[in-house]
Amino acid sequence: MSNFFSKAEVTSSGRPVFLRNEVECHLLSGVDFEPEDHLQFPPLKSGILILTTHRLLWLPSSSATAPTSASAIPLAAISHIFSSKKSLKSVFHSPRIRFQVLVSPDGRVFDPGSGSDYSSGSGSRSVVVTAVIRGKGDCDGFLVKFCDSWRAKAWESNETSGSGSGSGSGLASGSGAGTGTGGGLYSSDGSVRMVGVAGILRKEQEMWESTDKSLQDAFQDLNALMSKAKEMVTLAEKMRQKLLSGTSSQTSGNNDEDMGSKEEMQDWLLSVGIISPVTKESAGALYHQQLSRQLADFVRTPLERAGGMINLIDAYCLFNRARGTELISPDDMLKACSLWEKFDVPVMLRKFDSGVMVIQNKSHSDEEVFARIKSLATKPEALRNGVSPTDAAMTLGIAPAMAKEHLLTAESKGLLCRDISPDGFRFYINLFPEIDPCNIYFVKDFGICSTWIKAVSTSG
Amino acid sequence: MRRRPGIGGLQTAAAARDQYRVLGENVAKLRTDLMKEQLATFRSQLEDFARKHKNDIRKNPSFRSQFHEMCAKVGVDPLASNKGFWAELLGIGDFYYELGVQIVEICLATRPLNGGLIDVQELCKLLRQKRKHDREAVYEDDCLRAISKLKTLGSGFEVISAGKKKLVRSVPTELNKDHNAILELAQAQGYVTADEVERRLSWTHGRANDTLDTLLDEGLAMIDDGHKDGKRCYWFPCVSSISSFGADG
Repeated sequence: MSNFFSKAEVTSSGRPVFLRNEVECHLLSGVDFEPEDHLQFPPLKSGILILTTHRLLWLPSSSATAPTSASAIPLAAISHIFSSKKSLKSVFHSPRIRFQVLVSPDGRVFDPGSGSDYSSGSGSRSVVVTAVIRGKGDCDGFLVKFCDSWRAKAWESNETSGSGSGSGSGLASGSGAGTGTGGGLYSSDGSVRMVGVAGILRKEQEMWESTDKSLQDAFQDLNALMSKAKEMVTLAEKMRQKLLSGTSSQTSGNNDEDMGSKEEMQDWLLSVGIISPVTKESAGALYHQQLSRQLADFVRTPLERAGGMINLIDAYCLFNRARGTELISPDDMLKACSLWEKFDVPVMLRKFDSGVMVIQNKSHSDEEVFARIKSLATKPEALRNGVSPTDAAMTLGIAPAMAKEHLLTAESKGLLCRDISPDGFRFYINLFPEIDPCNIYFVKDFGICSTWIKAVSTSG
Repeated sequence: MRRRPGIGGLQTAAAARDQYRVLGENVAKLRTDLMKEQLATFRSQLEDFARKHKNDIRKNPSFRSQFHEMCAKVGVDPLASNKGFWAELLGIGDFYYELGVQIVEICLATRPLNGGLIDVQELCKLLRQKRKHDREAVYEDDCLRAISKLKTLGSGFEVISAGKKKLVRSVPTELNKDHNAILELAQAQGYVTADEVERRLSWTHGRANDTLDTLLDEGLAMIDDGHKDGKRCYWFPCVSSISSFGADG
């Protein structure tokens, strides 16, 4: 299999690495690749198909297989896309997309990036590949986008063609970029043409009347829409009950199909605007899964800059700023972060007792931080004056708010004791465990107690 | 089904189960198809609505708030996800999420000054300054909605009412009723003295001092010992009407 397709690079979180100017257009799950002739390559089963402006990517969906087996077909190597024939047979089958791929003489997919000269045309054969869509995605929409991307030939120009939209699942991106009727809502620049005071008043009047009328229409339409939405909600509630009670009544044989329909149901609930719970078995809507991986990749750089731990709300702002358009909601962010525990990504979400939620590196373990705090607190300077959150922040290299959280956690583990004074919070190393309750004045020769006594007694 | 003993009986029972299962699957499939159809109809209705009234929602804040109230009554949340129909067709998702991010930035920038509590009016004013070049007007209702969405990310974003004013809290400090009472009292002049607190709220000396000290610790209050009769005044930047941003941010 790997000999036929080009290799696609994948990040450690399972998201594909895009080329320069390459933009993701559409995504389908549950796709098989089958050749017309089985000699070319063994069929690839049940993966995620991603269409971009430059390539067609296939990722295996189960995380058990290593992410190194992702494959790609450059759109430049596709010579023809067959239009889908709607026959009686196609109603019962899963939808199929067939296209013809050029093959270079050594049996691999023709790679326009390599130096070989296509126009020499010596013995370039072609192979028909069929993509069978077993998942429940929008096949016709995908086909349309596929043809558009292929015709646009984005790889031949250096700029992105107009066909790609922002990252995400390729939904119509008409949102967020509406045209207003001119700015300056708060500034009165006085540039309205005046035809006398009466003219102004009349204009105002007309404007109010037209707004009023259109508003009345709007309210009527709104009412109609809401009554329809109410029906949707009751239906969605039934679906949600089915989701929650689904696993108890199914036999183990239909698990794959179950997962697919559960994902689909959650997609629907999401579209209507109902937040569905991410149950332990299901992995949430496909959108959230992809978002979760994207987020894991993105958050790596800020984490390093911030010393291994970053506030969730800071991460949210950074991510949305980076996206520019098609921002995500806070609920989306929370869902995506909670999905991390299902995937094998190097970051995790953590909630402190005070309610603050942070994203931290899995390698940035608590034990390591406590060891550093302990070494900080046993320095002679710290034994005399204690450790304040700012001292800890400077030593550990993290933000003061995070440092305070760490110190509080260390205190709850019994490592430190707090001292509240007019200057604020200070933390000292905890000496109580060393004191033997039967003999409280006995000081062991080795141990923190003696170090503390020495440090304190040498001060003025 | 007649129950028969032995292998025959087991086979019959298995066949019966299979038949029921197939029936169940068919019913489930019908239900799924029905749902798909309903969803498609709903979506096309929403598209019609959006085509006619998308601009109204953007431009008219009272219509917008009416829209939100009705959504809440019905039980849908148009801001739940960027991928929902609402965000896609009406385009209000981006507006609110962008607003949320700007609110977080403003709260962070003013935190050294007011300790993490800011008046909603003040916030709106700063927002408008920041968004001078944007097309859409921002009203208090929009800010409140954006903040209620931010609540899910932890970090203590919340709107609290102290007397007539609404304050936005952006730190995880918990404020109890005593703190609120003092904040309310401070709205009159921007500051309070311990005596005033004891007198007006009929508290004991200890309680007043304790609460004022906590507010001081959290950075919400500032001390002024220069008053002419020597009493210590506690100023609260979050409720006073002094403009906290000098130059343009």
